[in-house]
Amino acid sequence: MYAVELENVTKRFGVHVAVDDLTLCVPAESVYGFIGPNGSGKTTTLRMIMRILYPNSGTVRVFGEEVIGRGSVSDRVGYLPEERGLYKTMKVRDTLRFYAELQGMRRPGSEVDAWLERMNLSEWGKKRVDALSKGMAQKVQFIATVIAKPDLIILDEPFTGLDPVNTDLLRDVILELRRDGSTVILSTHDMSVAERMCDGIFMIFRGRKVLDGTLAEIQAQYGTDTLRVRVLAESESLAGIDGIESVKDFGQYQELRLKPGANSQAVLSELMRLGSVQHFEHAHPSLHDIFVRIAGPDAHRAIHEHNDTPQPTETAECIK
Amino acid sequence: MHKIIVVAVREYLAAVRSKAFLITILLAPILMSAGFIAEKVMDKRGLDISDRHIAVLDHSGKLFDKLAAAAELRNAVGIYSESTESDGPEQVAPRFLLERVEITDDDQSEKLLRLSERVRDGELLAFVEVGPNVLDPASPDDPEASVRYYTNATTYSESRRWLTTAMTTAAQEWRFAESGLDAKKVRWALVPPPVEQLGLLERDPITGQIAPAQKVDAVTSTLVPILMVVLLFMVIMMAAGPLVQSVLEEKLQRIAEVLLGSIDPFGWMLGKLIGMVGVSFTIVAIYLGGGLIIASERGYLASLPLHLLGWFVVYQVLAVLMYGSVFVGVGAACKDHREAQTALTPLMVVIMIPMFILQRIISEPNSTFATVLSFVPPVTPVVMLTRQAIPPGIPAWQPVVGAVLVLLTTVLCIFAAGRVFRVGILIQGDGARFRDIIGWLIRG
Repeated sequence: MYAVELENVTKRFGVHVAVDDLTLCVPAESVYGFIGPNGSGKTTTLRMIMRILYPNSGTVRVFGEEVIGRGSVSDRVGYLPEERGLYKTMKVRDTLRFYAELQGMRRPGSEVDAWLERMNLSEWGKKRVDALSKGMAQKVQFIATVIAKPDLIILDEPFTGLDPVNTDLLRDVILELRRDGSTVILSTHDMSVAERMCDGIFMIFRGRKVLDGTLAEIQAQYGTDTLRVRVLAESESLAGIDGIESVKDFGQYQELRLKPGANSQAVLSELMRLGSVQHFEHAHPSLHDIFVRIAGPDAHRAIHEHNDTPQPTETAECIK
Repeated sequence: MHKIIVVAVREYLAAVRSKAFLITILLAPILMSAGFIAEKVMDKRGLDISDRHIAVLDHSGKLFDKLAAAAELRNAVGIYSESTESDGPEQVAPRFLLERVEITDDDQSEKLLRLSERVRDGELLAFVEVGPNVLDPASPDDPEASVRYYTNATTYSESRRWLTTAMTTAAQEWRFAESGLDAKKVRWALVPPPVEQLGLLERDPITGQIAPAQKVDAVTSTLVPILMVVLLFMVIMMAAGPLVQSVLEEKLQRIAEVLLGSIDPFGWMLGKLIGMVGVSFTIVAIYLGGGLIIASERGYLASLPLHLLGWFVVYQVLAVLMYGSVFVGVGAACKDHREAQTALTPLMVVIMIPMFILQRIISEPNSTFATVLSFVPPVTPVVMLTRQAIPPGIPAWQPVVGAVLVLLTTVLCIFAAGRVFRVGILIQGDGARFRDIIGWLIRG
């Protein structure tokens, strides 16, 4: 059962193709990560799922129901935008009541109180939205999204502006919502969040799907060409080692990308020659690394110089 | 429908709870009353009742004594208020003290210059030069028969008006005497017969008795249309006006994205408009209710055109919907408040047009100009209502046709605004070009 199915969906704005022949299946009761650079078509895709925009061609189905015609709005979808969408002069409780009623709830007073307490906002209920800190406003917006218990919850950068305590709180709530049967689409630029929370990950780049699957599946596509090491040596000197394509210094450790066919043991010997090796791990590339490989400066250079667009991942249709 | 009502209720509460609304609704009458009270207080305490000195060069030699006597009489009894208080009458106007300037053979220009200097120094308010033939002009344009009033206080007209009256009375009395006429008889002969304006008689449908015609109060019959038009104008500005800001807030704060996930754009816009119709009823209830209570207490209720209330409501609702939908469209198509202000300017001119020509419509409600204008939908509510409010009114078909035309225009505006709103509300960055808006209107 899929919560969201997109089949060969194309959306154009004038001559610009925002989403190009996209096929995507988001399984129900999962947390699905949407990643991609700015302007790659993520928000357009989300808006089509939310029925705010309509595709030029292809079909979009939400819980098996095809999105057709204007105005077919569903109360089964909740949306948290990246930028806050709250009336500044409204009081917090009134705001939440309004959003709850707009999603079809009748007399949502007790639900509002329960959520405010859960998110540690009880004493802010009578305050105006513009009196809240960024993190608090984020939590209010989150409550507004989930209060009506929608079956599909679309969260665009939900952790922005939150301290670690509130990040943990929000993450626990999201995972609980999934356990209770909701499907969560998590659009994020934080690759570690996508890696840790998502059952599946979808990446869109220049309107096309370039990644789709579980983290393990995606990493398997990119092989084990990454060495994670901690060497007490200048990171510049590591780049000179034979068989190393690139070096990324994260301060506490370095990530080395091997050239195709390079021998990792030979690289280890060379590292030991350069300095004390305190950690050596043959690793899958991180999602961050994969993202940068697809959409980083090198990829852009390849596109502009050789018209070498990353190959889209093919999904003919969602498996029933 | 439930969602439209939810939006309407939010929009209504947001508007009536805003400081701007409360200030306008509550403070406007208070400020107006305060102004009225202040004027009354100033009438008594802030008046300049210092003596005014006026020099008179009487070349006729016959008028000064009469003028001085008239001034004395005025200063004795004509400048005090009729007070019921125990401390007696209070002076409410300045005394006029006349000073005779001797006629000599000196250079007249020098003399007038010296008097001018005294006026400049504040010693005199003015000086008057009475021509030698003023009582008995040789011809209608006899230059020697004029009275010249010299002053630098050009806006202070009280003394000049009094002087004119006093001089006229003195001249008439002299001429009556010279002609051997009895002044009392002449005055009696000149008393105009009083013409009283009345309304029409009506038969009471219950008792069958003929009710006497009521006196027509010219002030009420002019004031009522003006007040109705002002109220309608206020309603449009206060109820439809905030929609631009509200739509812009929803657009710029990205509230639109969240709301569009739960409600379709047309329903959302309709909710906003219904909310604002609610706001307009609140304004009307407060002001019209207050006005009717005051009119009832002062006994004006019978002379008010209460039968127009129904039409007022019809035009009020249509005007709020018509202008409100256009404001929604403007808000959705603009990128920020500044651009919206610019776009609203021509619209505001259209709304203001009836205010500029109101006097003309009131004085000639059935002229071709007023009639034609009352069928131009953007101004129909105000112009038609004004014409209806002025006795004896207009043919019954005219307001009906006017309302139908406004209704059609309103439907068209809502339809067009819906199309612009649907696309414009999500567009960030550059505002829509005129060409884009036309495209949205045509293609949807």
